[in-house]
Amino acid sequence: MSTSENKRSIIVGVFVFLAIVILLAGIFTLGGQQKRFMESIAVRAVFDDVAGLRAGNNVWFSGVKIGTIKTINLYGDSQVEVVMNIEQRVQEYIRKDALARISSESFIGNKNIVIDGGTQQAPPVSDGDVLKAVNPLNTDDLMETLQKNNQNLVAITGDFKELSGKIVRGEGTVGAIMTDSTLANDLRTMVANLQQTSRSTVNASKALSQFTSKLNTPGGLANELMTDKEVFEQLKTSMAQLEEATASANEITENLRTTTNRLNNNNNAVGVLLNDQEFAKQLQSTMQNLETSTQKFDQNMQALQNNFLLRGFFRKQAKEEAKRLEQQPVQPVQQVQPQDTIRQQRQDTLQQKQ
Amino acid sequence: MKEINPKIDRTKKVIEITGLKKAFDDFEVLKGVDLELYKGENLVVLGRSGTGKSVLIKIISGLLKPDEGRVNVLGEEVDRLSPKELDALRLKIGFSFQNSALYDSMTVKENLEFPLIRHSKELTEKDRDRIIRFVLEAVGLSQAMNQMPSELSGGQRKRIGIARTLILKPEIMLYDEPTAGLDPITSIEINKLINEVQRRFNTSSIIITHDLTCAKAVGDRVVMLLDGQFQRQGTFEEVFDTDDERVKAFHNYNFIE
Amino acid sequence: MKGLTGFQPVEMDSSNKNTENTRSRRYVISKRLDRIFLELGHVFAFIARFFKEVWFPPYEIKEVINQCYEIGVRSLPLISLTGFIIGIVFTNQSRPSLADFGATALLPALISVAIVRAMGPLVTALIAAGRVASGIGAELGSMRVTEQIDAMEVSATNPFKFLVVSRVLASTLMIPALTMYTTLVSLLGGYLNVHQNEQTTLITFFYQVFEAITFLDIAASSVKSVIFGFTIGMVGCYKGYNSSKGTEGVGKAANSSVVTAMFLIFIEELLIMQVINALRVF
Repeated sequence: MSTSENKRSIIVGVFVFLAIVILLAGIFTLGGQQKRFMESIAVRAVFDDVAGLRAGNNVWFSGVKIGTIKTINLYGDSQVEVVMNIEQRVQEYIRKDALARISSESFIGNKNIVIDGGTQQAPPVSDGDVLKAVNPLNTDDLMETLQKNNQNLVAITGDFKELSGKIVRGEGTVGAIMTDSTLANDLRTMVANLQQTSRSTVNASKALSQFTSKLNTPGGLANELMTDKEVFEQLKTSMAQLEEATASANEITENLRTTTNRLNNNNNAVGVLLNDQEFAKQLQSTMQNLETSTQKFDQNMQALQNNFLLRGFFRKQAKEEAKRLEQQPVQPVQQVQPQDTIRQQRQDTLQQKQ
Repeated sequence: MKEINPKIDRTKKVIEITGLKKAFDDFEVLKGVDLELYKGENLVVLGRSGTGKSVLIKIISGLLKPDEGRVNVLGEEVDRLSPKELDALRLKIGFSFQNSALYDSMTVKENLEFPLIRHSKELTEKDRDRIIRFVLEAVGLSQAMNQMPSELSGGQRKRIGIARTLILKPEIMLYDEPTAGLDPITSIEINKLINEVQRRFNTSSIIITHDLTCAKAVGDRVVMLLDGQFQRQGTFEEVFDTDDERVKAFHNYNFIE
Repeated sequence: MKGLTGFQPVEMDSSNKNTENTRSRRYVISKRLDRIFLELGHVFAFIARFFKEVWFPPYEIKEVINQCYEIGVRSLPLISLTGFIIGIVFTNQSRPSLADFGATALLPALISVAIVRAMGPLVTALIAAGRVASGIGAELGSMRVTEQIDAMEVSATNPFKFLVVSRVLASTLMIPALTMYTTLVSLLGGYLNVHQNEQTTLITFFYQVFEAITFLDIAASSVKSVIFGFTIGMVGCYKGYNSSKGTEGVGKAANSSVVTAMFLIFIEELLIMQVINALRVF
């Protein structure tokens, strides 16, 4: 073989070698990046709904990619079990009580799983652990909670109107208040109820606020909802009103607590209550506020019902309602009612009591 | 005028063809050809272009398959051989192409080496060098060793082409138009070379040509191919001693006086 | 000298034979269709012969290396330059559509998918079809015309092995190698453009590039380029090896090598894409 041929062979060899190096570099970079070759542990989580998550999607922890989805299986009663491969080196940072939730990588990007913290007290996860899953915020559920809260509020407001009316009309019923310890007890229960409701209202409004803020940020869920400005506005106002109502409710609760305390305190409470017309008026105006905001909220709910996007939900609810009615025709269903009806109701009750 | 080679062995047929027919698509080129080539003989096949002269030697070397007829070369039926047997036979046949058919991507030396490396694997590089020098010297072109074919003249290329066939020591030489495209002086040199090869390497040859000078100079025997059949055979004089207009026309065309 | 050969001058009557010069032939379907199927048969026989002969000695290793040098190394400058330019141009032209969404950050991913999956192998194959297939077609064509192929055959050297097998092998090996280079260089071209406009760093760029592709993409790209390489070699060799006589035949062989190779490459690209997409589901 002549030297020029040798040279050619060598050049061809180098050429092919470099091509293989490029290929291998590509494969290993890809492998490294997609964590196929990393030591990993498998962790599971069970979701109600994975919102289009697929095997191969990423797992994030504090904004860092730490693994991929290995498999997705249907599980139990229409639930979904997701098995994630997580790098071993981050194992110690993820605690057994960490939460897994479905999120999305970008505006139009893939779904992923985000693992949130956990507490220092809990031990690190180990292979095969099941993480607690946070199920994605569901519009249907949110609406249901809101409506239930609203109904409670209406009921309580009604009760309070009755009560405060009695207090305002004070003179005639002083004896009753003074002697009727049942009333005091009733009052206490009501306060307790109100407290609970207001707490759940706070929660609901928080959820609603989270929901709306999500709607507000681009890349949030429910693309269609976002584009519907009207719905968004309505949701925002109803949230504000709910907050307002809750504030009022809190105030009433505070006031009432004082009142009941006074009622219980036999020494001078009665006198104070009797003379404290100011307080009674305050109570009534608060009540009125609460009423108006509830009513406004009702209107918003009505508007929401008319929105085509959420129509499905309300229709479903109406159907369930109808079914329930058929089964128990005697018991009237507590519905969101216009103000007039409430007033009517109140007057009815007042008349009965008097 | 060539002196007939005294070494011709008329008892030994190296090539025997009977009833050979060959057609391309719709055109029948050879229509029943009979031919013998004796050992040591230079046979000239004369004919006009396109009369199937080249087809004849291509069939002999197995490049083309006959449609009909027997083609016996060195005791083997060419068209019935397996590829391996055919290759073995081909080593005994040298084929000099019309345009020399030198591998133009290789130097003269590589051209000559090409068959040698593949068929005489036992040879060392030194042996090969020696053989290459020998055949180059035999065709009178020792200095062309490291030149590229494109740098050579037509006559030189022809010589190298002949040298390349000689390198495998063939028993039969087939020349396809050895003097075509060459000037008369070079043609005479090539004719001399053909005769020298016959003597020195003791080959039997078929020379395809339309050049009567060449036919006269190298042919021990001449056959004339007209209309797909041999019309006349014999010595050069015998062939042209006829009243056949076609043969006469051929003669007169070549020797315009 | 008369009679020395033992022959009398032969006079043969052949005047009536002229009529037989043209024989009428019977065709299976029609002349044209028969030709097409005959050609198709030749093509398959040619390919089959390659697969039959590639396994057995003598291996023309020296010639394979020579051809690798011719096909691979000598094509590198042209293909690198083309790949680089295509990387830049493609990136630049894709930017406006992504900018409409405010998603120019997705450019590396887009480039990656386009180049690794499709353009790398395709551009390489098309350029190689232009350079290599025509080169092989012309070379073998002229060897056929000047009887060099016959010369090899009569010197009992297998020209198919020496010429066809070596070239097809070389092109089947070299086109994938060239594809690797083209892909890398195109990505670098894309990087250059992205870096100028979006100030993305090299590491980020390549991180996103590899985010966007999978092993299937790399494997498909490699398999595809092997098939393209084989096609280019085969077409060039077939056209050249079977070229018709005359200088016109050489031109025709070179020309139809390029046209046929490019056409087949597109058809193959389409088919392979379908197969890969079917595989992607799993």
